[in-house]
Amino acid sequence: MTTMQVDGTDRTPGVAFDFANNRFSLAGESYPEDVAMFYGALLNRLAEHLAGLRGAELQFDFRFIYFNSSTAKVVMRLFELLEQASQAGNTVVVNWHHEEDDDNMREMGEEFAEDLQSARFNLISGPA
Amino acid sequence: MHAHELLPFRRDLEDRGIILCYNGYMTEEVLTGIGATIKHKMAVDKTDKNVARSLFSLFVEQMQNVIRYSAEKEILPLEGAGVTMRHGLLVVGMESDHYFVACGNMVDRKDVDTLRDNLTRIQNLDREELKALFRHTLKGETPAGSLGAGVGFIDMARRATRGFEFDFADVDDALSYFSIKAYI
Repeated sequence: MTTMQVDGTDRTPGVAFDFANNRFSLAGESYPEDVAMFYGALLNRLAEHLAGLRGAELQFDFRFIYFNSSTAKVVMRLFELLEQASQAGNTVVVNWHHEEDDDNMREMGEEFAEDLQSARFNLISGPA
Repeated sequence: MHAHELLPFRRDLEDRGIILCYNGYMTEEVLTGIGATIKHKMAVDKTDKNVARSLFSLFVEQMQNVIRYSAEKEILPLEGAGVTMRHGLLVVGMESDHYFVACGNMVDRKDVDTLRDNLTRIQNLDREELKALFRHTLKGETPAGSLGAGVGFIDMARRATRGFEFDFADVDDALSYFSIKAYI
């Protein structure tokens, strides 16, 4: 399986994980009934993939509209995985998209990015 | 209950600035439905978008707290593990032109001291300290003695731009009623 694709719902984000091209994105709302059930398999699969990756160019796009505090734990874990992949010799770009007037979403991105040393981080503001 | 009883009840709610309230079993379906309604109402009222976002976030964190932790529950033996329904009260309203979100639910009396200590501690943190605690908690490296502040309450404290209050009322030997009210 080289891609994982899940359509977004009112409460869960659209997922597009393209393992062959190392392009990943989460987009939309995230306040699932059961965070572990929604994200568990995705995180495991991504961690497995990144563990063996060297010299790749990887891009992860976060396009959240809203996420709850349980999702924030998952995002923290994703940032850790991405930083590790970068330190292991991959070129990692993390794009954090937010609506231009969404101060909180911008700040959350900045806070998550504080732990990134090797991976590149971009804040991308778009029309609301 | 008929109109002559419900009308004064409704007026009493309105006099307290209550825009929306729900008392009963809180399920994920209720969260989804009321959440969508709150979003529509904010859009129609052209509420400032950052206020609307904060209000929605406070609503989700408080509802999910009740759904996960209310000590008053009923387990319906449906297929599989069954469905657990927990009881709670949600109030969304406005006081002096500012929104608030409040929830009430039963908690075990033995948990009251921990919960009170926890919330008091969060209440006394400034923005930077809340940010740091949020971060530590997300990473699962909350220092010993911090009583394991739930990330939901910390998030709530960060989103409640005008602070939050909480209270307890003992019900019987085993249960106490807990309320939390966050202001934007």
